[in-house]
Amino acid sequence: MSSFDYNALINEETAQQSRSIFWDPEIYQEELKQIFNRCWLFLGHDSQIPEAGDFLRTYMGEDDVIVVRGEDLEVRAFLNACSHRGNKLCQAEWGKTKSFTCSYHGWAYDTSGNLAAVPLEEAIYDNLDRSKLGMVPVARVQNYKGMIFGTFAQEGPDLIEYLGDAAYYLDVVLDASPEGMELMGSPYRVEIRGNWKLPVENAIGDGYHVAWAHAGAMRVVGTIGQGRSDTVLGIGKDNATFDTTGQVQVTLPPHTILSTLDGQSGYALYDNPGPCLEYVEKNRPNVVKRLGELRGTQLYGSETHMGIFPNLQIIQGLNLLRVIHPKGPGSFEVATFSMADKNTPDDVKEIITKHVGQTFGTAGILEGDDGDFTEAITHSADGYATRQMKGWLGMGEGRTIDWEGPGDASPGIVNELCQREFYQQWKRTMTANNVAEIIPVQKSTQKGDI
Amino acid sequence: MAKKKIEHLGKETDINTAYQIERFLAAEARILDEERYDDWLACLDADISYQMPIPINTYRRNRPSNTSFSQTMIYDENFEKLKQRAAREDTGMVWLNDPMTHHIRTITNIESFCTDDSSVYDVRSKFTLLRARRNRDNVSHTGSRKDTLIKTSDGFKIKSRLVHLPERVIIDKNLNMFF
Repeated sequence: MSSFDYNALINEETAQQSRSIFWDPEIYQEELKQIFNRCWLFLGHDSQIPEAGDFLRTYMGEDDVIVVRGEDLEVRAFLNACSHRGNKLCQAEWGKTKSFTCSYHGWAYDTSGNLAAVPLEEAIYDNLDRSKLGMVPVARVQNYKGMIFGTFAQEGPDLIEYLGDAAYYLDVVLDASPEGMELMGSPYRVEIRGNWKLPVENAIGDGYHVAWAHAGAMRVVGTIGQGRSDTVLGIGKDNATFDTTGQVQVTLPPHTILSTLDGQSGYALYDNPGPCLEYVEKNRPNVVKRLGELRGTQLYGSETHMGIFPNLQIIQGLNLLRVIHPKGPGSFEVATFSMADKNTPDDVKEIITKHVGQTFGTAGILEGDDGDFTEAITHSADGYATRQMKGWLGMGEGRTIDWEGPGDASPGIVNELCQREFYQQWKRTMTANNVAEIIPVQKSTQKGDI
Repeated sequence: MAKKKIEHLGKETDINTAYQIERFLAAEARILDEERYDDWLACLDADISYQMPIPINTYRRNRPSNTSFSQTMIYDENFEKLKQRAAREDTGMVWLNDPMTHHIRTITNIESFCTDDSSVYDVRSKFTLLRARRNRDNVSHTGSRKDTLIKTSDGFKIKSRLVHLPERVIIDKNLNMFF
C-alpha cells in the first residue's frame, strides 16, 4: 500500500476519476510496480515464433523483454539486459538465432538463457560461475490457446485463473476452429503523447465516441459511407439516434467485454465485407458445435471488444489485437496486429489485413483521430487547476440486463460500464496487498453449460 | 558485411524528360500542400498501386524473412482507397485538421530512368514532409520513393508509388497524409 488516497482518485459513488492519474509521475512509478510488475501481460502468440530459435521483443511495462522458443521448443522470456553491465542483448525486433550476444564485451547466452560463452574467460576470471550469470527470466510464462503471457510475479494465480471467465469470450477468437487464431505480419507501432490508460479504456468501452470523433471516416467507410445502411453499430448516421437492443457491455473483473451480439456487424466498417461474411456463415455451424449457441450465433462474427487487464485489447470483427505499452506518464506506444482464424481463406485474410491497415494501422483513417484527444486529455492535466478537475464516466449506471453468458451486463455499446470497471480494477490493482488480491473475489458467475 | 552490387537502375532519360518529371513532382507536392485532393487524384493512373511497407528491423542474416513474419503495409491502396482517404479529408469533419494542419513537402534527389516501354519511367526521389499543426505540434518525416510514371496525352500519371519511411516506431499521431 502506498500513500495515495485511492478513494479520492477513483470514486465509484460518483463515477469520477481524478485527472491527476494521467499526469502524476509518482502514481506512474507506482503503476509500473503494482500493475505491470504483477499482472499477467501479453507477450506474443505461438504463430509469431513457431520454430526453435524464433524470437521477438516486446515490453512488460517499460521493461524490454525477449521472448524466445528454445531448442526444447519451450517458450521463455527474459529481460533484455546483459548480466555483466546491462547492455541490451538484442537489438532486432524479431528473428531466428542460436544465441544472444552482447555487443559490449561479447558475453553470449543460449536461447534457454544460460550464459554460454565469455570471451577470454579462463585468462581473466578465476572460476567464473556462469550458472549464476544467466539472463534474468520473466518469473512465469504460460500459454492460453496460443496466446503467450508472462508475469514478473513469482507467486499468485496461474494465467488460466487470471483470465477467469474472460476465457469464455476469448475462445470465440482463439478456439473457433481446431487450428485456432494467428497473428499476421509485424505490428503497426506508434508512439503517442498520451497516458497509457486512455487508449485502453477507449478501445474496450467507448462506443460513444465512434460516430463523432470518427465522423469524417464514418462518412466514407463501411455501411454508412457505402450507403448499405443508415446506422453503424446501432448508431444513426447523424449521431442522433441509438438503438441499445441486442448489445451488451459486460464486466468480469479484472476484464471486460463489449459486443453487438448480431453475429455479423464485426464487418460493418469493411468496404468489402462479402467474402468475410460468407466465410463467417460457412464456418458458423462448426463454431456452434464447438462453442455452443450463444457464442456461435451471437458472439461469433459480431463486433466484440475484449479487454484483458491491464493493456491488451482483442477486437473481433475488426480483427485486430492491440497492446498498449506505457512510456512515462505522458506517452505510450501502441502495437497493433492483424489476426484471423488460421483456416481463413487467403483472399479473406488479405481483405482483413488491408482493412486493419486502412482503419487502425499507422495510417488508419480511424486510428488517426484518437491520438489527438488522447494527447489533449493527458496534457491538459499539466495545468495545476485543470488537473483538479474530475473525469466522469456515469453513463448507463444502474442499467442492467439479463445476460446468459458469464459476467454482469448492461445494455448497449454506447455505455460507460467497461470504462468504469477499468478504473475500478486499476484502483483494486494499485491497492492490492498481494497478487491474489488483484483478482476480486469471484461472484458465482457460472451459469451452467451455455 | 557482404558487399552489395551496385544496382543498375536503367538508362537515364534525356534532359528534357528529366526536367518535365521534376516539374511534375514539384507540382504534385504543391497540389497536396494546398489540399487540392481532386486535382491530386487526377495525377494518378486509375490502376495505381500505392504502398508503404513498415521497415524490417531484424538481423541482416534473417533478411529477407523466411519465418512466419511477413511484411506489413502502412499503405496498400488502389485508386478507390486513395479516393476514399481524400474524401474523408474533404468532409470537413476531421477534427484534428481544423485548424488546418500545414504540410510542406520537399522533393529532391530526383533520378529519372527509362524502361522497356518508352512512355514509362522509373523515377526515384527523396522527400521531407513537414507537418505543423496547432501551436507546436511540428513533425518532420523523411524518406524515399520509387515511382512509375506514365506519359500520357494528359501529362504524367503515377502508375505506382512505393514509399520507404525508415521510422519503425512512428513518433507522430498518425500518417494520415499523402507522401
